[in-house]
Amino acid sequence: MKRLPVPVTKVLTAGIGELDMRGIDAYRERGGYRQWERTLRELQPVDVLKIAEASGLRGRGGAGFPTGRKWSFLPSDKNPRYLVCNCDEAEPGTFKDHMLLEETPHLVLEGMLIGAYGIASHHAFIYIRGEFKRGYEIFCNALEEARKAGYVGNNILGGGYDLEITVHRGAGAYICGEETALLNSLEGKRGEPRLKPPFPAVEGLYQKPTIVNNVETLAYLVPILERGAQWFASVGTERSKGYKIVSVSGHVRKPGNYEVALGTTVREIIDLAGGLRPGRTFLAVQPGGGSSACIFEEHLDWPYDYESMTKAGSMLGSGAFVVFDDTSDFVKAAYNLVRFFAHESCGQCTPCREGGSWMERVLERLVQHRGIPGDYEMLLRISGSITGLNLCPLGDSIEPFLKSVMQRFPEQFKSRIVTEAAQPA
Amino acid sequence: MQMTEREKKFGELLERLRPRCEEIIAQYERKRSALLPLMHLFQEHEGFVSSQAMYAAAEMLELTPAEVEGVASFYTLLYRRPVGKYMLQVCRGLACTINGGENIMAYFREKLGVAHLQTTDDGLFSYEEVECLAACDRATCMEVNLEFVYDLTPQKVDAMLDAMRAGTYAVAPMAQTEKPERTWSIAQDLDIAAGGKSAGARGVPKPDNAGGVGDASGIIMLDNIINRNVPFFRQTGERAVVDSRAVVETIDEEAARAGH
Repeated sequence: MKRLPVPVTKVLTAGIGELDMRGIDAYRERGGYRQWERTLRELQPVDVLKIAEASGLRGRGGAGFPTGRKWSFLPSDKNPRYLVCNCDEAEPGTFKDHMLLEETPHLVLEGMLIGAYGIASHHAFIYIRGEFKRGYEIFCNALEEARKAGYVGNNILGGGYDLEITVHRGAGAYICGEETALLNSLEGKRGEPRLKPPFPAVEGLYQKPTIVNNVETLAYLVPILERGAQWFASVGTERSKGYKIVSVSGHVRKPGNYEVALGTTVREIIDLAGGLRPGRTFLAVQPGGGSSACIFEEHLDWPYDYESMTKAGSMLGSGAFVVFDDTSDFVKAAYNLVRFFAHESCGQCTPCREGGSWMERVLERLVQHRGIPGDYEMLLRISGSITGLNLCPLGDSIEPFLKSVMQRFPEQFKSRIVTEAAQPA
Repeated sequence: MQMTEREKKFGELLERLRPRCEEIIAQYERKRSALLPLMHLFQEHEGFVSSQAMYAAAEMLELTPAEVEGVASFYTLLYRRPVGKYMLQVCRGLACTINGGENIMAYFREKLGVAHLQTTDDGLFSYEEVECLAACDRATCMEVNLEFVYDLTPQKVDAMLDAMRAGTYAVAPMAQTEKPERTWSIAQDLDIAAGGKSAGARGVPKPDNAGGVGDASGIIMLDNIINRNVPFFRQTGERAVVDSRAVVETIDEEAARAGH
């Protein structure tokens, strides 16, 4: 059946791959920093918050929490308060923030400036994943340019508003993408998540009110201010508004970042990425990063939005979209992800720390075709008893993918179990 | 034993970097926040995070050395012992793996003759298989001294290693102020010492595993910690070389004298 091409609207991704937008002049030629100037000139912080709320923008880092509502949790009488831009992108399969940081650093910065103003903060931080050394250097250059142009610092553009930005590099720890672990890391501690509540909006960095927002979330503030909250809210589905960058990888012909309106179908996203390789058939897609369950053929025509993915038993997460065709070995894939979580567990909570590494061992022997009778049931039992018992979502992230593929492709797992007599010496 | 060349020069380096350290510290409302940036800075100059660097950071940030070590050891990009001039970090994430990553990793291991977390004997290459690097559209990807390389093929790997050996590779080598050992990872080191398998982590425990059932007195473990250069047992000045057996015997004798 011939399908119509999916309309692609490039908002944050406009110009990426075609133009060099790293310099401030190139960015300004395309209308850059006009929204920051207008914000300072015409808007009060509360106006920015109202626009963010009206746009329906939800956090693009993984949790999908409404951005405006998150900001509104800040106690109005407490200062100082901080904005932290989370650029510790490490969810397996996600590579959008990496692209935004390297390709359009000024857009990220302008989003941060507007966001910080929206919560009336005078000190904002960006926490950049340690592996993004190039991105860190590019962003530092952009910040220097913006400082020289008078967009950052004291008495910005003569309007009396002060805002300092500090760039902070991580040093290799997935868990620091979790907002409270990130704050501990920013305080010079081990990246161990904190017990919530109190939420960062009440007690965050240095026990002061703090908002942690993802790179993509903050960047969307710029076009939202430019074109209006209604423009953003008119796109998408009932509760998933606007656009989203989807990082498509795995068994597709043209992996890459594709910006789509939320509600675009799963099938359309696969088509955008060039479809499957010739002669292959579709088996599954992991639609929201390493922490999400797989969805299958029956979900191909479902809309890709927060609610539908949840209803399909998975989640939209960070927008990592890994496609699996019929060459896939799901035992190996599950081993890969479980090993990842076991490796990245911070070690604070016993179920996650112990459960993860034990499951890794069981899956390792399954990969090697020397599973022991009972392994299949044991994996499901252990993963089920890790979920819900940890300080942060890392431990809970072990079960979804594993369970979804074990239930869908049980023969792949069971065929690697051998009787005790047949065990290799 | 004498101080190494690097150890002798550390005071000079510290004085040179001190103004930069102070600048970094001033960016934060609380000094401790400067810990990771300081670790990055020292590593950039020494090639790894030395014990002296941790002591110096502790002093500048008003922390105990144990607090600094506790943080530095949490982060995988901080190398607490010397590494090769080229840190080769190949992505073992899911998206790379299902697009041929396993073959690339096997190729690297074969070409270099080392395993995950090990350094070649000439001290030129350190090899690590790392978690998803966020470049899944260009699988298989890797980082060389934290600079990305995409779309790896065996031919590309060959050309890369040749250029590094010839000193013509596009990415600059890291500072190397001390000759690296087989591995920079303490966990891996204990594994090697115990015959490739650590006691708790995998397989059937061997009787002579460090800290294992055959090491009830802890001599092997103690020996590993003291004589295998685990940071903080070698501060500035002379390197400790201790006969672990004698230590245990002394403790036993003292216990006997005390009537236990």
